[in-house]
Amino acid sequence: MSVPVVYSPQYKLYNFGPQHPFSPVRLEMLLDLLEQLGHPPQFVEPTQATREDVRSVHLESFVRRVEAAGRGEYSPDFDHYGIGTADTPIFLGMDEAARWLVGGTLTAARMISSGQAREVLQLGGGLHHAQKDLASGFCVYNDLSVAIRHLADQGLRVAYLDIDVHHGDGVQWIHYDEPNVLTFSIHESGRYLYPGTGHTHEIGKAEGTGRKLNIPLEPFTEDESYLEVLQMGLEPALHWFRPDVMVIQCGADPHYLDPLAEILLTTRAYAKIFPLLRQYVAEFSGGKAVYTLGGGYSLDASSRIWAMLYLTLQGLPWPDHLPEPWLRHWGTQLGHLLTHTLLDPEGCYPEIPRKPEIERRNRQVAQRMLESVRPYWN
Amino acid sequence: MLIKDVMNSPVLTVDVLVTLEAAYHIMLQRNIRHIPVTYEGRLAGMITDRDIRLVTSPFAAGGAKPIDTPVGEVMARPVVTGDPLDPVEEAARVMRQRKIGALPILDGDVLVGIVTGIDLLDALLRLTGVQRPSGRLEVCLDDRPGELARLSGELARHNINIHSMLTYPCGEATVTTVVRIGTLDVRKLAHDLRQQGYDVRWPPQIPSKSL
Repeated sequence: MSVPVVYSPQYKLYNFGPQHPFSPVRLEMLLDLLEQLGHPPQFVEPTQATREDVRSVHLESFVRRVEAAGRGEYSPDFDHYGIGTADTPIFLGMDEAARWLVGGTLTAARMISSGQAREVLQLGGGLHHAQKDLASGFCVYNDLSVAIRHLADQGLRVAYLDIDVHHGDGVQWIHYDEPNVLTFSIHESGRYLYPGTGHTHEIGKAEGTGRKLNIPLEPFTEDESYLEVLQMGLEPALHWFRPDVMVIQCGADPHYLDPLAEILLTTRAYAKIFPLLRQYVAEFSGGKAVYTLGGGYSLDASSRIWAMLYLTLQGLPWPDHLPEPWLRHWGTQLGHLLTHTLLDPEGCYPEIPRKPEIERRNRQVAQRMLESVRPYWN
Repeated sequence: MLIKDVMNSPVLTVDVLVTLEAAYHIMLQRNIRHIPVTYEGRLAGMITDRDIRLVTSPFAAGGAKPIDTPVGEVMARPVVTGDPLDPVEEAARVMRQRKIGALPILDGDVLVGIVTGIDLLDALLRLTGVQRPSGRLEVCLDDRPGELARLSGELARHNINIHSMLTYPCGEATVTTVVRIGTLDVRKLAHDLRQQGYDVRWPPQIPSKSL
């Protein structure tokens, strides 16, 4: 049975301009690749999120300002709400555009809560930095939290998994005190990378204590260490929490080509990560999950990683070599050669001298995280 | 950051005539380790849980004192104090030098607050912590006038807000400057700064990463 794919061309309205890294070209390259691989997706059209949907996690004062900014109005307190900054500049219609992305993730969640589907892929969204009253890190509205809120309101236990290279801070803070939402983020340490949070001591508060989990990784972490600590942390957490459904943010920016961070995953890691996550979904959350996209600023890496996500979910075979016309067209567009294969070649970046120390420290961090949350698991 | 911004106020005190037992119970109940002692409402000394345990134990010089001894007989004095308008690092320096865990704060001769080691840790977290989502930029600047202004001018030109800034000397004629800035895309900025000759220490240059 194939996994439904939610997508609308309206997603491309979410566009901060040609110089901005969060570019709609990512989606165009991905869709073109899937088509040329001979597996064009059948899309489920999302419903645009309403103002009320957005208000289920965002404050009225914030939403009002996003709307005003999107109409071209100005207010001196925009900065305070993270609007009109270098990362989230103002563009006309930003409220509507952001509501399309929220609508996509919410549509996916509703398909699951209504029993229409078990797994759904949302080809967009994943705006995990947006907080209840703050636009931040390219994110205006938090589609993930709106979807999680919907699922939790149906009485479901939700496990949120975030493999973006940046800490999933918005989702974590929005659900920080909620007992029925587990958040798990694995990312480059906030000591080095935006947004600066996601330490092992952030474990939730009140009823939510012990249910917000973070694995901050050393810069220059590689495939084996990443996979090792991901399993070390996630498996016991899911085994204990037993979610009814998972929401998975599949940011592609831990890749070694990504220009915004320092983690060094190759697509060989993703060849293991995506099947592993599917296996966890089957084993621990009754086979139910929403998968979204997220960060990913190397167009070469992101389009291949998300193609792998798509092919994994549809149970399709992976091609050895990518289609020549696709490589030629997008190589010309971007002005540099693209990787020819889904799997990165061996030795694609120089050897890392501190490797054993990085592995040791990552292991220690995963252990520390488990030690700090386990006392609350009962 | 001044002492008045980090001190605990109002302060719990005990009179010199309160017994060691009573003072110790107050500390247990309130989960504190230091209490200023007053005589006729004025600061007269300091008593700690450690003082009380020691003087009532067999280890006390001259033998253990009974637990109904008034704290006035045991308290430390004269007391080292601070002023609410002193900078917080002043409190840290005095506490470090005298090896004391708490500093009563006097406004004139009125006891208005107390600063403990824990408050100084909180201050450190506030100074170095992450209050808003931000990226980290570390630049090694020449130790001469105008360098910091030049750097912050660059940030302003990129429309990037500074959330916090920490500088400390590194080597002979340079200053390490750690800036927490309101952007996810620090590497692009680092690239621009390097092109202008800045010695950017974080984020590092990685050849495989295209911009």
